[in-house]
Amino acid sequence: MISFSNVSLVYPNSTTTVLENLSLEIAEGELVLVIGPTGSGKSSLLRLINGLVPHHTGGILAGEIRVDGLSTREVKPGGLAHLIGIVGQNPLNGFVADRVEEELAFAMEALNLAPDVMRRRVEEVLDLLSLAPLRSRIIATLSGGEQQRVAIASALVMHPKVLVLDEPTSALDPIAAEEVLSILHRLVHDLGLTVVIAEHKLERVIGFADRIIHINGDGKTIIGNATEVMKISEIAPPIVHLSRALGLQEVGLSVRDMRRMVQEMHLPNPPDLKISLPPHEKPAIDIKNLTLSYVGHVALDSLSTSIYDNEIVAVMGRNGAGKSSLLRSIAGVSKIDKGEVTVYDTDPITLAGKFRRELIGYIPQEPSDLLYGQSVMQECEQADKDNQVMAGTTFEVLNQLVVGINPQAHPRDLSEGQRLALALSLVLSANPQVLILDEPTRGLDYEAKKSLTRILIEFAKVFKRLVVLATHDVELVAELATRVIFIADGDIVADGPTIDVLLSSPAFAPQVSKVMSPRPWLTVGDVVAALEGDSA
Amino acid sequence: MKKPPHPYTWWIWSLAIAISVVRFNNPYCAIAAIALVGFVVMSQREDAPWGKSFNWTLKIAIWILTVRTLIGVTIGVPIPGTTIFTLPRMPLPDWMPGIRVGGAVTAERLASALSEGLIICAIIVIFGAASSLTSPHRLLRVLPVHIYEFATAVVIATSVLPQLVTSVARIRQAQRLRGQSTKGISSYRRLAIPLLEESLARSLDLAAAMDARGYGVSRKRSRYRPINWQLRDTAIAASGLLILALS
Repeated sequence: MISFSNVSLVYPNSTTTVLENLSLEIAEGELVLVIGPTGSGKSSLLRLINGLVPHHTGGILAGEIRVDGLSTREVKPGGLAHLIGIVGQNPLNGFVADRVEEELAFAMEALNLAPDVMRRRVEEVLDLLSLAPLRSRIIATLSGGEQQRVAIASALVMHPKVLVLDEPTSALDPIAAEEVLSILHRLVHDLGLTVVIAEHKLERVIGFADRIIHINGDGKTIIGNATEVMKISEIAPPIVHLSRALGLQEVGLSVRDMRRMVQEMHLPNPPDLKISLPPHEKPAIDIKNLTLSYVGHVALDSLSTSIYDNEIVAVMGRNGAGKSSLLRSIAGVSKIDKGEVTVYDTDPITLAGKFRRELIGYIPQEPSDLLYGQSVMQECEQADKDNQVMAGTTFEVLNQLVVGINPQAHPRDLSEGQRLALALSLVLSANPQVLILDEPTRGLDYEAKKSLTRILIEFAKVFKRLVVLATHDVELVAELATRVIFIADGDIVADGPTIDVLLSSPAFAPQVSKVMSPRPWLTVGDVVAALEGDSA
Repeated sequence: MKKPPHPYTWWIWSLAIAISVVRFNNPYCAIAAIALVGFVVMSQREDAPWGKSFNWTLKIAIWILTVRTLIGVTIGVPIPGTTIFTLPRMPLPDWMPGIRVGGAVTAERLASALSEGLIICAIIVIFGAASSLTSPHRLLRVLPVHIYEFATAVVIATSVLPQLVTSVARIRQAQRLRGQSTKGISSYRRLAIPLLEESLARSLDLAAAMDARGYGVSRKRSRYRPINWQLRDTAIAASGLLILALS
């Protein structure tokens, strides 16, 4: 269905090749996963398939790409619209209409399909992705998960033979991600759709993939079926790391396979541990009856909680449950309707300038919002000056977070992970009492996530500070958080030590705990530590 | 749900009003026009991202009016009349006769600077009103395919304004969180860079998305749900044209 023959790609004004001499064949009805570190060219590979690269981006392309016999050299992206559906990394930027129905019809209108065909197909796809209740809503007002479904629907409505998705679950909560992936799985099996997905959160997609294309970033690629690639790949979901840690011969890619293998191992059953949060005297952040609503929609409904020093609190919940609203109220950006929020006995909304920087550090969902300098160095110097610290301090912090950032580079040209690190080092250089992060792992690869985890734990432990983060990333929470607050419909439904909250909900349980259940282990590290303790 | 008027309607109406303002060339007409479009926007706009662009054009207009009036009264050719107050005059070399910086500020001069500024403001505000009342995406769907390259450019241009408005709010909020003041000129410089980059990136994304969805491939375009020209549209457009005829 898709064939790459000897494809090499170089972007203008760049000295490195993104892809080098890549040849591959993707058959009809295959689900192929593209993996690789951030900035390695996964998106470029996807956009090569329908010719957006190089028709839209420029660059030099050698070799040939054919989709269903058509060469992207001869046919422009528009000419492949009936054949290939593409869903970009940020679906909101790719919407061309205001309302759901109009968005779905757009491509069909452009190809001049008859109105009755359009009607039928729109109804079909509305049912397929359960979008019928949203059909006349304005897209900008939908939640992230709903927007993602609309984007997939508007690609599917063309009845394409190939569907290309760039990080389709990065903005979704585990349940919504599961939903989207099972729809794709069904389409592949029922309709013989060919699907190409790029994704960082392998734990979500690995079970569905037939084959994996592993891009290294230096032009090298490994292609093979999922188990083969997972045996050798550095980039792997927790479940694969688990089988390596246990010294298994085979790698299991699904929880079911792994459970079967693990049951033969006769692992110890540790006694039930009762972990309770240590008692505290005075809360650092105190929230009483917090109520917040946007036009006609209640975001937070009389929510009360206290957060203490030394804690790393993960705020979890479905898309649109009110996580960001809670974080923004703590940071003091959103005006609250009712109730009271205090951070170290101060109302955060009154904070400004230096006091704000030293009390609360906040990383918004889009870390680049904080950046306005022309180069990394300029940003760091500005932060040094603002925080009245020695020149070079911020850059040093940045170097501890990630190595090898070119100080002259423009913030826009950094990879997602590097940009987050830059924003984080700007905030950390003020040494705030409270650090708040909104969805920090969007677009981060495992390597970047690991260093983020290390830094946050260090920050909380060494400096005795507290961290609050909102995230959908269950695996991150398992590695990092000491406490989880679970929000639904603007109110807290569960609040307790990470292990209790995560184990009590199957949908939000990390992979390792699903394999190891009923043993209370959340991460590969937990398992290794428990086994070592047992043998000692 | 109330069906919004045809996408052309408010643009025709606004264009007619804008031309009338220029033809009247009268500050009172300009004020009346601003009041009129303001009233129409407040009562007609949808609760959608593009609906907010009007407020921002209003702010920009006030800013332009202030700057232009200040420059108008201090620099330029003097108009004789009643002196309100006198500024110290900056000496200029002999080869620049007739132009002065500072000096007497007369009521006539102030009035002429104000009235010119008002007309410019009225045009900006009327443009803001049109883009506030019409969804850029709906406009795209009715524009003829034959001019599709041009149409793409128009849509991207008109959708940039509402996007800017939402981005401005978000970026300012983030920067306030970094402890930076959001007042003063340097704050605008800090705002401008991320804003420009974001709107450029978004426009490119939109163009790529339209291309990938086959926009402009077929010379004929079908309609999923027809956008019809209705009696109401005729009435609105006619009211605008009537004002134009009166001018």
